[in-house]
Amino acid sequence: MTKFQRFLLKRLAISVLLTLVAVSVIFVVLRLLPGSPFEALVTSGNLNQEQITEIRAMYGLDEPMWRQYVNYLTSLLTFQFGYSILRSQPVWAVLEPRLINSLILLVPALVTTAILSSLLGMYAGWNRGSRLEKFSIVSTTLLRSTPVFITAIFFIIVFAYNLELAPALGMRSIRATPDGYIETFASLDFLHHYLLPFAVAVLYYSGDFLLLARNGVVEKRGSEFLKLHRAKGLTEMEQLARAGRNSMLPILTYFTLRLGMIFQGLILLEVVFSWPGIGRELVLAIQQQDYPLVQAAVFIMALAVILANLAADVLYAYFDPTVSASGGGSA
Amino acid sequence: MTLLEVDNLKVTYQTDDDPVHAVNDVSFTIDEGVNYGLAGESGSGKSTVAEALLGLLPGNGTVERGTIEFDGKDLTSLSAAERRDVLWEDIAYIPQSAMDSLDPVMSTGDQIAQAIHTHRNVTDTKACERVRELFEIVGLDPNRVDDYPHEFSGGMRQRVTIAMALALEPDLIIADEPTTGLDVIVQDKIIDKILEIQERMDSSLLLITHEIGVIAETCDELSILYGGKVMEQGSVDNVLVNPTNPYTMGLKNSFPEIDEEDEDPVAIPGSPPNLNGEPTSCVFQDRCPFATDECGESHPDPVELPNRNHRSACHRVKESAQMRQAADDPETWDIPDDGDSESDRGEVILETDALEKHYEQSQSLLSKVRGEDPDHVKAVDGISLSVRRSEVLGVAGESGCGKSTLGETMALLEEPTGGELVFDGEPYEYYQDGNQREFRRKMQIIFQDPFDSLNPRQTVRKLVGEPLTIHDYRTDEKEQAIVETLEKVGLTPAEEYLDQYPHELSGGQRQRVAVAKALVLDPDFLICDEPASMLDVSLKVNLLNLLRGLADTEDIGIVYISHDLASLVQVSDRLAVMYLGRVIEEGDVNHIATQPSHPYTASLLSAAPEKDPTADRTRVLLEGEPPDPVDLPSGCAFAPRCPKAQESCWESEPAIDETGDERHQAACYFPEGDDDPTTVDTSATDSDGASSINADSIGD
Repeated sequence: MTKFQRFLLKRLAISVLLTLVAVSVIFVVLRLLPGSPFEALVTSGNLNQEQITEIRAMYGLDEPMWRQYVNYLTSLLTFQFGYSILRSQPVWAVLEPRLINSLILLVPALVTTAILSSLLGMYAGWNRGSRLEKFSIVSTTLLRSTPVFITAIFFIIVFAYNLELAPALGMRSIRATPDGYIETFASLDFLHHYLLPFAVAVLYYSGDFLLLARNGVVEKRGSEFLKLHRAKGLTEMEQLARAGRNSMLPILTYFTLRLGMIFQGLILLEVVFSWPGIGRELVLAIQQQDYPLVQAAVFIMALAVILANLAADVLYAYFDPTVSASGGGSA
Repeated sequence: MTLLEVDNLKVTYQTDDDPVHAVNDVSFTIDEGVNYGLAGESGSGKSTVAEALLGLLPGNGTVERGTIEFDGKDLTSLSAAERRDVLWEDIAYIPQSAMDSLDPVMSTGDQIAQAIHTHRNVTDTKACERVRELFEIVGLDPNRVDDYPHEFSGGMRQRVTIAMALALEPDLIIADEPTTGLDVIVQDKIIDKILEIQERMDSSLLLITHEIGVIAETCDELSILYGGKVMEQGSVDNVLVNPTNPYTMGLKNSFPEIDEEDEDPVAIPGSPPNLNGEPTSCVFQDRCPFATDECGESHPDPVELPNRNHRSACHRVKESAQMRQAADDPETWDIPDDGDSESDRGEVILETDALEKHYEQSQSLLSKVRGEDPDHVKAVDGISLSVRRSEVLGVAGESGCGKSTLGETMALLEEPTGGELVFDGEPYEYYQDGNQREFRRKMQIIFQDPFDSLNPRQTVRKLVGEPLTIHDYRTDEKEQAIVETLEKVGLTPAEEYLDQYPHELSGGQRQRVAVAKALVLDPDFLICDEPASMLDVSLKVNLLNLLRGLADTEDIGIVYISHDLASLVQVSDRLAVMYLGRVIEEGDVNHIATQPSHPYTASLLSAAPEKDPTADRTRVLLEGEPPDPVDLPSGCAFAPRCPKAQESCWESEPAIDETGDERHQAACYFPEGDDDPTTVDTSATDSDGASSINADSIGD
């Protein structure tokens, strides 16, 4: 077994363990919450005690805690998320479209901003002290520190109400009745609705990448190997490319981390733009104590973050040759 | 024919305060096929000259005036693109720190190929072939072209940069301190390699270094820089044998040499000049014992000495013969000559018996479950030494031989894994068992880097006073204790330094503060781990003399750890030579220096460069690198590299008392100087030429 395979195996084991821990935490926390999904029905007097016992038995809630836990684990790990209590629909049928909606908005936004802002950041770091550097840092920091719903509302006021360039709300116009994902997303109407939230998301994420890339390049700028590259007769841009390549690791880490977190959606953005994403759905589900839905949603989110981290580790080995050699943790 | 002509070059650096005049009107010429040396201490502007030549000055550096004519073109007037064409195609560069000058995320072969592709329109396969060829030339395994820099050792990385410099067969190679930071043995090999290759390629070499010895051995002509000015230049033979400038005399005298152990090296007192203004007087005036009023008025123009290739910038150049004689006497430089009174050595203060420090290597879960014994790195493997009061014990060895670990284990910064350590009559367990504080007061350690080991946010008063507070020692007369100690280490008047911060001090002063910090508690024992390796020659000599003096007057025992044999010979009474965690030779320092018994010691001694260009030195190039400390061969650990190894060496390991007596013993079956027909010197001459190159290319 090569060192790298061993390293990979170790990471995989850790990931599996982490998933188990995350899943258990979700289970415990939800049981600790006061009340139950049926409380509302009971207090409104619509259900009598027998009916409650019957429903609880139907959902398996009368069984001892450990049995519930085992059942829960076995179904989760086989990706059977059960039925939503409030919507009376399979959980996956509820979650899937919303997850897709969130991803189709945020993944392109994240990739775009990761590439553009990092390149801009590298260039700014190379020309340290220039006006471009100062301007880009101030503006992206401003965008990052402003709550995303403020930026979103501002964009809606300017582009939707005043300039009337784009619709303010929703994913499709109200009259559209698309069937299936392809029909939903492959249309001009969708693109029209897509632009504003996409732009806000891009700007929101840009600050982190820009600063990371800039700092990396600033740090590398005085280093000896760049001097040698310069002595070799490489042009400024070629030198910058080497400096950028050498400061990739923090950007990569941050990108994969963010990519994992995208599965949670950007709740505030989705609320402001009435984007039917997973973030909004989760908030609703928690409010209404829809256990199966919350469990499934949180499971998917945790899994995404863990997988993204695993991807980061693997990519590290590719991007930094020193990682794979010493990855086993030995001296 | 003239290849490079630098005329009145002046470079300044913009800073927040005054501009720094780093290079002031430097002129020199390099002919085709000539090796040219630029020597000087740090801050003399020698690296700035190289950067100006290559156009690599940092953003705040500007060439104020002067011309750099290369092959008839003035480099300073070229556009950026034209300049890029000249770089590497005509002028290549071997950078200073091999450790960080290779791109860590690009394979070494690609980095060399990149240089080729930038200037030549060749196919990938052609470039790749050339890279393999270059690897072979510099003695690296051509199959390792796809390896990344971190997979090579320091010396091998430097070989990669040399291979890179050769890629396009340039007319001029600029090597900026190519061997600084490498061990003597590796340094010797690298220099040898550069010379061998350069001879074959017939290019010129500009070698920049602070080691006069390296220049004396490799160069034909040189310039000696000080404070951004050329002090003396000309042919190496003339300048170094008969210097006419007081600075050259001082610089030459301050080089400790192994075979002159009776004379103390004479250091130049004072510190390098402030370059915040254009020099109006002779830059060396403040430190020069021969300065007159005339020297204060103007910096002297270089005077051509008749009939020999030799120029010197000194107002009193006509009196150089008298000056040369006077310069050999320490009193000329205002250094009190305290004589070489061999002080009586006191009782034994520290003794180790078979001291061990093994590091366990991490193992996989599987072998842990199976209960396999983990591998150990035997950093310190059964070392028995003793140090008396007023005695300096030198510990020598290549990097990775465990000498620093030995120091740390002696100071109980690392827990010994075996053996005995007795300090001041008590075993180390006694100190670990609640008497740690007493131990820490009596035993002090001085680290390698004075830049890192002082807290930058504390004044000298706080830095030196801190140990007093921690140990509650002389707290009622703290100020007095601080002042006394500062004066003891030569920072006088002490009051001037009390409120300064480390960054306001020079390198030498900082190291003195670090020494003062250790001495303020009146310790009984001092461990110095390469304290002088970051210092310039003249400062280094000052520190060595200081430590020597402390051992004599303060009655403390000192362990001095270094890879620099010349300075060890200067400072120590006894010497222990380490190889892979073991002491392979130990004894009286003069005896070892003149008659080494162990072949390893002999090769260490022969690797040190000679500052006298007329002296001939036999190089003993050791084969390969030290073996993997985890998987040591059976028998003598040095056998794989030993020129004299025989069957019996592989079978069992010689003990330290194999040869010699109490005064001088070595772990070798076939010591030097015995009636053995193959002494190292002859074997080196035998294997000269082709076979030595082959041997050299086996490893680093």
